[in-house]
Amino acid sequence: MSVRRSLAAVAAAAALALAGGAAAAPSDDRILPVPEYTSEKAKNLAVTHLKALRALNGDLYHCVPWVEVQRHSIGFFRPKHIARDDRYLSVRIYIEQDPSPQFAALRVEQRAGAMFSRYVGALLKRMTQDRTLAADPSIDGFTVILEWLKQAPRAAGARPVHETIAVFVEKPLATDYLAGRLRTREVAERAKVLGFDGETALGELRLTAWDDNFVATYKVANYEVEKGITCQ
Amino acid sequence: MRGLRLLLVGATLVAVAGCATGEEWKIWRDNKTHFASGEHMGFSVRNREGTQARVTRQDIALAREQAWFGRPITVSQEQILER
Repeated sequence: MSVRRSLAAVAAAAALALAGGAAAAPSDDRILPVPEYTSEKAKNLAVTHLKALRALNGDLYHCVPWVEVQRHSIGFFRPKHIARDDRYLSVRIYIEQDPSPQFAALRVEQRAGAMFSRYVGALLKRMTQDRTLAADPSIDGFTVILEWLKQAPRAAGARPVHETIAVFVEKPLATDYLAGRLRTREVAERAKVLGFDGETALGELRLTAWDDNFVATYKVANYEVEKGITCQ
Repeated sequence: MRGLRLLLVGATLVAVAGCATGEEWKIWRDNKTHFASGEHMGFSVRNREGTQARVTRQDIALAREQAWFGRPITVSQEQILER
């Protein structure tokens, strides 16, 4: 074998090894781009914490693969019901789950309470993994938006209907929860929760929630996390 | 002559492999998301019965795209949050 051929073979092997070793990354388009923000405060937060937002995006993509984060769903948004420029780190997820007659038979508050229990605490922990972000006094709170299929299309051409809750957690409340001073039930009692049936606003919901370790324990059958990714 | 024989055998194999039973076509018609693309079929073929199944993040993304019910009726981000 000539030297040139040997070098080419080594280069090809190295390229393959590199390609195999690098984990596929989720698209950055799930994070709201800096120019899209309407205030300097938000833009500054987005620039300062871009690395943390990317890490959160990657963590959700690889470690909670049964949820979907759509375009521009991660960022420092202002909750619409707050007049001043308070900026909440916000994440919106669509939760995939098999249709369940038992779940569908519950009242909307019960479905919302179950979803709150499963996801809000788990997401708050993931959203504050970056210590610099968690300690940034410019961040005023956290928004978790959870969306799930309420009704599959019942006829050809019909559209599916999603149910959504938007959970707004002020910074002190989140801090107390993350420090273990409050339980999920108390966060649900004190957070502001808005409900939506499809596009229709249901107003503020009063939820009963509980500590649920579903996100930490559920595994997609036979799912293998890509090499180089560590899930906590 | 040998080439012609090979061609005939090949053509027969392609014809047989490409044929779906009536029931398979019914499943296809009834479920538009069933093996909607080559990628999804590749995932199903790779995880044959009796072998250790393996699901990657890419498989989940592809399966999700193919099981898509269509554009949902849902609240827009703008109804909840300001940029």
